[in-house]
Amino acid sequence: MSPERIAASLTLVLIVGVAAYAVAESGISIPALFESWGNAERFFERVGGIEFPPAAELAQLTALTLGIVISGTVFAAVLSVPIAYLAASNTTPGRGWQAFGRFVTVLTRAIPDVVLAMVFVLMFTIGALPGILAIGIHSIGMISKLFADAIEQVDEGPRLAIRAAGGSKLQEFTSGILPQVLPSWVATVLHRNDINLRGSVVLGYVGIVGLGMEMSFAFKSLNYSEGLGIAVVMFVLCVLMEIVSSVIRTAMLGVAPSGRGLGDRMVRGVANARARRSGGRGVSAGERIETRAGLDTPRPSGNEPHAASDLHAALRRPWTSTHIRDTAWGWTALAVVVASVAVCDIAWGDLVTFWAKVPEIAMKFWPPNFGSYDAETMLSAMGETIMIALAATLLAVIVSIVVGSLAARNVAPNGTVRGGFRLLLLVVRGIPELILAIVLIVITGLGAQAGTLALAFGGIGLLGKLIADSLEEVSAGPERAVRATGATRAQVYASATVPQGTRALIGHSFYLLDTNIRAATILGIVGGGGIGYYLLNAGQGSNYQVVTSIVFMILVTVLIVEGIAVWMRRVFR
Amino acid sequence: MSETSVIEVEGLTKRFGDTVALGDAALRVDRGEIVVLLGRSGSGKSTLLRHLDGLETPTSGSVRVLGEEVPSLTGRRLRALRGRIGFVFQQFELVPSLTVLENVLTGSLAELRGPRLGLWSYPKRLKLAALGHLDRVGLLDQAYQRADTLSGGQQQRVAIARALMQEPEILLADEPVASLDPESSAQVMALIREIALDAGLTVVCSLHQVDLALSWGDRIVGLRHGAVVLDTQASGLSKAEVMEIYGKVVTSTTELSAIEDELTDAASVVEPVR
Repeated sequence: MSPERIAASLTLVLIVGVAAYAVAESGISIPALFESWGNAERFFERVGGIEFPPAAELAQLTALTLGIVISGTVFAAVLSVPIAYLAASNTTPGRGWQAFGRFVTVLTRAIPDVVLAMVFVLMFTIGALPGILAIGIHSIGMISKLFADAIEQVDEGPRLAIRAAGGSKLQEFTSGILPQVLPSWVATVLHRNDINLRGSVVLGYVGIVGLGMEMSFAFKSLNYSEGLGIAVVMFVLCVLMEIVSSVIRTAMLGVAPSGRGLGDRMVRGVANARARRSGGRGVSAGERIETRAGLDTPRPSGNEPHAASDLHAALRRPWTSTHIRDTAWGWTALAVVVASVAVCDIAWGDLVTFWAKVPEIAMKFWPPNFGSYDAETMLSAMGETIMIALAATLLAVIVSIVVGSLAARNVAPNGTVRGGFRLLLLVVRGIPELILAIVLIVITGLGAQAGTLALAFGGIGLLGKLIADSLEEVSAGPERAVRATGATRAQVYASATVPQGTRALIGHSFYLLDTNIRAATILGIVGGGGIGYYLLNAGQGSNYQVVTSIVFMILVTVLIVEGIAVWMRRVFR
Repeated sequence: MSETSVIEVEGLTKRFGDTVALGDAALRVDRGEIVVLLGRSGSGKSTLLRHLDGLETPTSGSVRVLGEEVPSLTGRRLRALRGRIGFVFQQFELVPSLTVLENVLTGSLAELRGPRLGLWSYPKRLKLAALGHLDRVGLLDQAYQRADTLSGGQQQRVAIARALMQEPEILLADEPVASLDPESSAQVMALIREIALDAGLTVVCSLHQVDLALSWGDRIVGLRHGAVVLDTQASGLSKAEVMEIYGKVVTSTTELSAIEDELTDAASVVEPVR
């Protein structure tokens, strides 16, 4: 065992220890949960029922929320292309550019969109633009990171052919690389759009118009019926958006959705059912090629070439089903984007005038200080956020190992058990964490407990699925070998399945911790405890220097966790 | 440089780390010649071809193509030269998700400024030319199919149409049929020769099958360990004579039999694509 591995193991043990302490401190206990279930019943009695805003208003708010989210995602999608070009090792013009591209991806990912929204709300007249920019800039990080990864994996051959034909670097990229990575880019953008829609709730709390803002007003004025009503609308929207993006991914790109969302599952389910019904009579792509190759008789030498008029006729692309479908998708996508931008009613003038405000506003944010709070309060609040994330991650890991294992084909005793646990994960995953948090906060009161529970619950949906998938992917050989020695089912699991899945488990858990640190901050804004509460307070009280200090603390934490995660993944490879 | 020769390579050496890919190689090709580079895999055929198109930088030596000293060219002038040289690859190297027609059109990128994506971004004049080239290779009906729906032989013919799109003076082909089944191979080789004769193209094509090289090329240049060991007209030459020449330069009998195996039987071990 190398010294580095020992150090990594010790760090891992330490992190788990701290997380265990955090769980103990959070005061979450099974009896308490049952008690608060009583609270929930009383609460719902008091609420009386769910109410929705008037239909016209609801439609307008929904359109606005969708418009802001889609416009923001599209903004990020466009900007991610040049950033990914700079960041990918095979396209970057130089090491300096690559470092710059990577820096942008890391930085934009690390700054929560809520913080960006707070800043932009100050710079622009109230409206959709701050929301679009906040969502857009924050999303650049993830989209360009995944896009750069895809660029690095392309087949270099076509690009070489274009270089050999005298194409420029830019032409190599647009003609040789871009067509290869376009499907993965579209898939990433759609996936990001789902995430942004989920996250849009919290943007309402810092003054971005739409459903989120309406919901925050409702809860603040103790109008729980309407707040819950909007939460339900939001939940339905999230599920619908997932279904739509899955349909697009399958239909337009021929990429089977591999996502973990509810929509992805439904689409896969429908597709599988259809495949079963057709009983494999459908012609696969491979077979089509065979047939065509069989008919392949090139014009024998000496044959008359087509007349010039035939070539002119061939200029018009025939309306095959593929062409019709592609064209329809293209125009629909364009229409959705145009409609999204239109519905936002963007004050374009702001883009010109806001530059004048930048120096003034930047001054307000500098130098960072803790304002009326002392350093100890702030550091302990940051600590609380970290503890929430750690506790939630540990709880999620423990439950996910059980649920995820039972959802794995090679571990579950039978298909019913597996199906049941897969369904459980699916349902859990369908509920956006933020809405869950808000409801939990309403029920159990403000504080870390609600935030921890919401994050842990959401984490199970994600991690359980990842664990089930990685367990199913382990090689079956060792399992068979252990079984052949006469081992019981549990022994096979412990001696053959788990050891093979450990590496993936560590990787996925750190991914969850990474996500949870950011999410814990955001949950604080809606009342889930920790630094987010101070962030919201400082923003609303115009203590912008405090906002800067808090953002720095978040940045440092996120970067440290990312660093540890990268290190762990490398060591436990 | 003489009036007639379009390719002049002298003392070309290329090292990748410790491996010598080309050692003091020389080659001179006249306008309109159809030359086969013959050799086993690893003999330096590909590396030599890639130097002619400026895709590799020599460790030392001189590479003059169409009157230009290739290694000294950069930027626009290098791209302009590449535009005059068509290149056909063993693996076709089409962009799989683009239509056949757009793949052919990428051959015209050297004469266009700026990025192009989508058929609408190419001028009508070039689209007509591309359709004409597709007609020439017998694939006009497949113009609007995705490139990856075609068979290997069809894909290579698209790649030839792409090279024709450049209206090249020289056509370089690197093992153009090594990934094809025998029937498609014959079609593709016949097509290349036919087009070359029609347009008066200079062709340098690397192959590893002696039979095919003898029946197809006008002149055979044999490579071994990155050096030219054979340079002769193909007509009247027999396989035995080729092997005899190899026999003179090869000292070990194991290598000779390995050469014989690979150069003669290779066609049967080639895995056709799809």
